Amino acid sequence: MVNPFREFHTHQRQGREIPLDRILATKDLILERLVAGYHTLIEEEVHNLVWLVNHGALPRAYAAAEKALAEVNFTVEDVEDFCFTLEKADSFALALAGPSGLYLSAMCNRVEGTEVLLRLKGLKSRVHLVGYRLPEGKRLIVEGSCGDFTGAAMEGGEILVQGNTGNWTGVGLRRGKIIVEGNTGEQTGEWMEGGEVHVKGRIGNLGQVRGGKVYLGDRQVAGR
Amino acid sequence: MPTTETGHHRTVRALYDFISEHLYLNRPDLEVGGEKFNSTLLWSLLTALLGGKALVTGEPGLGKTTSAEYVCALLYRIPLGVLWGSEVAGHPEQTEEKMVGRPDLGKLNRGEEQVVWSNFVQLPVKIIDEINRLPETKQSLILDGVDRGNWEYLNQILLQDEYCLFATANYQDQGTQTLIPPLLDRFDVMLESKHPGANLSFFISQQEKKDNLLRDPECERGFYAVLLDKATPQGKGVKLEEIGGRFAGLLHERHTLTTLEKEERRTLRAAIAGLEFSAEASAFMRTALTELSFCCTYGQKRSNEECPEGCHYSGYLCYQVRNCASNRLPISLRRYAQALAWLLSSSQVEVEHVRCVLPFVIAHRVQWRDAYVSAREREARRDPLPLHLAKQAVAEIWHRFAEQREQIMSALAQAARILAGEDLRPLEGDHPLFVEIKRDLGGEQLW
Repeated sequence: MVNPFREFHTHQRQGREIPLDRILATKDLILERLVAGYHTLIEEEVHNLVWLVNHGALPRAYAAAEKALAEVNFTVEDVEDFCFTLEKADSFALALAGPSGLYLSAMCNRVEGTEVLLRLKGLKSRVHLVGYRLPEGKRLIVEGSCGDFTGAAMEGGEILVQGNTGNWTGVGLRRGKIIVEGNTGEQTGEWMEGGEVHVKGRIGNLGQVRGGKVYLGDRQVAGR
Repeated sequence: MPTTETGHHRTVRALYDFISEHLYLNRPDLEVGGEKFNSTLLWSLLTALLGGKALVTGEPGLGKTTSAEYVCALLYRIPLGVLWGSEVAGHPEQTEEKMVGRPDLGKLNRGEEQVVWSNFVQLPVKIIDEINRLPETKQSLILDGVDRGNWEYLNQILLQDEYCLFATANYQDQGTQTLIPPLLDRFDVMLESKHPGANLSFFISQQEKKDNLLRDPECERGFYAVLLDKATPQGKGVKLEEIGGRFAGLLHERHTLTTLEKEERRTLRAAIAGLEFSAEASAFMRTALTELSFCCTYGQKRSNEECPEGCHYSGYLCYQVRNCASNRLPISLRRYAQALAWLLSSSQVEVEHVRCVLPFVIAHRVQWRDAYVSAREREARRDPLPLHLAKQAVAEIWHRFAEQREQIMSALAQAARILAGEDLRPLEGDHPLFVEIKRDLGGEQLW
C-alpha cells in the first residue's frame, strides 16, 4: 500500500514553548519540592507516629518541617495547591493527618502574605494541628473541617474554620483568635494562656482554660 | 531557501517586466516572497510557462484577452497577428467546424476524408474569447481538447504535447451562459483583469499602437502559410518553430528580449516539476484539501447532499462548501505553487507559495452554501466575489493551520510511522484532517 505520509516520516516534534508552559512548569517544580519536603519530614518522624503524646516530639517535628521548607520559594497559591495535592493523594504518607497539618502550618507561617485559604473540604481524613504556632498578622480561612489541635500554640493572627474542629481546639493558645463556625470537640481551650476561641455551634466540653476567653455564640463560657 | 538565479529565471523575469512596463499596465495586487506582482500578469505568465489553463474574468475592455495574447506571444514566439487569427470567439452560433476542424471539401468531393484543422487547434496557444457566450452543449465540444490536448474530428485525432489555454469570461449579462462545472474544473486558475486605476488608465490612453511591439508582417505571413497548408499537421511543428525562431530574433533586435524555444520550455517545466514541497507546505496543502472535501457524516462532500445541522465540524469550511474538491485541484495547486517557487528562486515549495496560489485555484471550483455567500457578499473587497470568498476561505484555513501546525505535522509523522509498521496509535486532534488520517490508517469503521 502507498504510504501517503512518507515525507513526514523523519519529522520530529518541535516543542513550542509558550509562557504559560513555563509558568506551569515552575509551579509544578515548586509543588514537587513542597511534596518532597513533606516526604523528608515523614521519613524523619515516621519512627514516632505517636509523637503527639510526647511533648518534645512536636517542636522537633515542626523544626524539621521548617527545615524542609527553608530552601523552597513558594507563594500563597502554592499552599492552596498543596491542599489539592493532599485531596488527590492516594499515598499513605500524604494522608497522615498529623504530619500533613503540621507541615501545612509551617507553610502558612512561612509564606509571604497575610491571608491563606485552605480548602480541606474534600479530604478523606481530617487534618490535625492546622494553625500551629500561627504568628501575629496572619489569617487562615479553612474551607471544611479540621482535626484535633486546631490553633495549637498560636502566637497571634486569626483562624476562621468554616466547619467543625476536633478535640483540643486552641490548646496552648497564647495570642490571637480562633473562630469555629461549627462545633468543637473535647478539651476545647485546654491550657490556653491568652487569646480568644469563638464557637458558633456546640462545644463538646471545655478543657482547663488558664487564660484568654472561650465564647459559645455571644456568651463567654470560660476564661477571664 | 533561495537558489542561484539561472538564465531561465532572468529570461522569464525580463518578459514579466517588459509586459508590465510596456504592454499590460496594471497595479501590483499580490505580494509574495517580499516582491510585488500583478496577479493577473503573474498567473498568466506561469500559465503559459506551465502549459496550464486560465479563466480570465473582468469587465469588457480591461485587458482580459490582450494580457493573454501578450504573454503567449512572448512565451511561445508567435506574433500577435497570428494569435488573433487563431482565437475562438464564444457565441451561440459557434460550431465544431469553426473551433476544431472541418472536412477538406475538395477531397470530400473526390470521396476522401481529410480534416483541415483550425488554427486554434494547431497552435500551442489557445485563446477562447468570451467562453461563457458558448451554449452549454458547445462547451462540451471542447472539454476533451481543453483537458488533454486531444482534438478529434471525423475519426481523425490531433495530439498536442504542448499547449496552454486562456479563456476569457465577461460577468453575467443577458447573453452569457453558465459555465458547466466539469469545464470550470478544468481551469487551473481563475483571474480577474482589473481596472488599472484612473492614473494608469490615463497613461494607457497615451500609448499608441503598442501591439506593433509584438508584430511582424513577414513572420505572420510565414506562420499563416504553414498553418493554412492542408498537409497533415505532422511536420508543421518544426516549421512553426523555425518561423518562431525568426520572430524571436526580431524581438531580441528590437527590445533586447530573450525568449524560450520549445526545448528550453520543456527543460524549464521539468525543473519546475522537480521542486519538492517542504513538509510544512505539504501539511498545509493537505489541511486545505481536507476542508474542501471532508464530511464526517457522509464520508465526503457531494454536491447533491447538504451538511446536517449541528455538525461538530460546522466551524470548518467543509460545512460551508457544497461540492467536493476534484483531483484536478491538487494538481493545479501543486504545479502553480512549484512554478511560483521556481520564479522566486526558492529551492523548494514553501507554505507561503501554496497559500498564495490557493485562492486562485479554488475560486472558480468551490460552490459555497448560500448562507456563506450572503454573509460575505457585502464585505469591503478589491476582488470579484468568487475570488474574495476564496481569499477569505484561505485566510481561515491558514489561521487554523497556524494554530494546529505542530499537532498536524506530528499526526502526519505518526501516521507515516504507523504505516511503516511501528506499533503506535494515531494522534487525536480537532481538525478533520485527523479523521482523514485515521481513515487512511483503517481506524474508522462504520459497519
